[in-house]
Amino acid sequence: MASLHGASLQLASRRPAKLGQTNLGQTNVRKATVVTLVLATCLASAAFAETKKEYSFAVGPNANISVDTQYGAISVRPGSASQVMVTATLKSDRVEVDLQQMGNRIQIASHLLPGADEQTGQVDYEVLIPPDATVSLHSSTGPLSAEHLQGDLTLEGPDAMVNVRNVENGHVHVQTMRGPITLTDVRNGHVEIASISGDVHLKSVSGPLVQVNSGSGKIFYDGDFGSGGDYKFTTHTGDIEAVAPADVSADFSAHSVLGRVHNDFPLQPKQHSRFSFDAGRSFFGTVGKAASEVVLRSFSGRIRLKQR
Amino acid sequence: MTCSDVERVLPEFLDGAPDGALPDEVEAHVKSCPACSDLVSDLKLIASQARQLAASEEPAPRVWVRIAAELSAEGLIRDPESAPARPVFVPVPTSSDRRWSAWWLAPVAVAVLAAGSYVISHKPVPQVAKQQAPATPVTAPAAAAAAVTPAPVPAPAPQLLAQKSAKPESARSGSAKSAGAVRSEVEPAPSAEDQQFLSAVSTLTPSMRTTYELQLQAVNADIRETQAYVDRNPGDMDARQHLMDAYQQKALLYQIALDRIQ
Repeated sequence: MASLHGASLQLASRRPAKLGQTNLGQTNVRKATVVTLVLATCLASAAFAETKKEYSFAVGPNANISVDTQYGAISVRPGSASQVMVTATLKSDRVEVDLQQMGNRIQIASHLLPGADEQTGQVDYEVLIPPDATVSLHSSTGPLSAEHLQGDLTLEGPDAMVNVRNVENGHVHVQTMRGPITLTDVRNGHVEIASISGDVHLKSVSGPLVQVNSGSGKIFYDGDFGSGGDYKFTTHTGDIEAVAPADVSADFSAHSVLGRVHNDFPLQPKQHSRFSFDAGRSFFGTVGKAASEVVLRSFSGRIRLKQR
Repeated sequence: MTCSDVERVLPEFLDGAPDGALPDEVEAHVKSCPACSDLVSDLKLIASQARQLAASEEPAPRVWVRIAAELSAEGLIRDPESAPARPVFVPVPTSSDRRWSAWWLAPVAVAVLAAGSYVISHKPVPQVAKQQAPATPVTAPAAAAAAVTPAPVPAPAPQLLAQKSAKPESARSGSAKSAGAVRSEVEPAPSAEDQQFLSAVSTLTPSMRTTYELQLQAVNADIRETQAYVDRNPGDMDARQHLMDAYQQKALLYQIALDRIQ
């Protein structure tokens, strides 16, 4: 809106130079036009005014915070250890923010009013929370982001782009329909990701359980597979590409029912494997001390295990 | 008796009326109303299929707990004080068609998952000993495609006719290469659950509705593709697991739609 007002002011400031070159009738018409434009702009500003609201809540350790909006971005970052700060940017007056605190649990939700659509119903949230808080975020459109946290995270949104970075020790559950998912620097996490067609990128993600299920989305992993974790990546038609250092310690199994597989690592053979050997469509074996188990499965996608 | 009245009674029916019978006036309405009739027959089918599932096909307890928690949170179920252990459905406001069209999705999603599990685990595995090697050479997906026998194709629902020209995979990434490999090109008519799903998402914006429709078609194509492969290679346990995964994807799609519509 600021830019609209600015445009109106610029238009008005140019008026005197032109006035001297026109007759009085034309001048009145132009004045009326300008006034109409300014009024229309003001009315539009009032109808679709973007408003920013701030809220704060006092909480104890391990607070539980949920943010739910139909349309809009949600960003969560660490703040004070005993306070939750919420900044909500409402795109119009056709949407409200409902807040509830029940002890250590805080619920924040957008509430669409009649006539709201994807644009006017949008609320963007920036939330500062204690790092150990449990967080649940939901937005149909997203994006959703969380960073530098240590509590459990749940992020869900059909079309939402999801970005999680620098989190540790918590459970990370992500679910989208077609929104792309990126996790970066997730340590000691219990990671479960499900998407129907969104691509999944994992960079430096490790933990006792890292599980990805996708229908047609691609799965990319770049990391060392930690030590002692279970890594299970499954797609139906999407490709899987995993990149690991030469000194990785893992027990690999890969199988694509109808697709091809490719492996850069010199695998030590195993006596038993979950998949029967099928040249070009499966491989299995260990590298190093096989600290982690890595299972890569696709029905018709291609699987590549690359050495960094 | 209106459709809304029937809607109020159906939850009790769902929850297991002693003889499964509807009150006379409801029965009369159902007989005269195709929409309610379809709904009741679908619910009966789901209920009967669910009863046939053995305990081994029961999803893990955490699945039920999660579903119950979500439904409770949405106010769709409550735990009656006097009754029984399992929750009952709470009729939703009759003025809201959108809610009416959404509440069935949760049990249907569960039913889809359970049915998938049932189908997979009860599929006959003839001559397993002969399946040491794949029945169909997996190096020739094109040949496999030729072996796929498309299911009989009833007349397509009008709702899907307009989508015939659009490939369902167009909404999905990374599936182009497989789309032409083994998938049947003919889209079967949607099942009763899918018709309800399509009806529910029809309340969304046109772009979102199209997205959900395409996603559903794509998931169904995955299921058909995998089922066809499993039929040819019943001893391939990994393919069976992929079939289960495909059903889970469909359940996930239902769940996401449920969240969206509410």
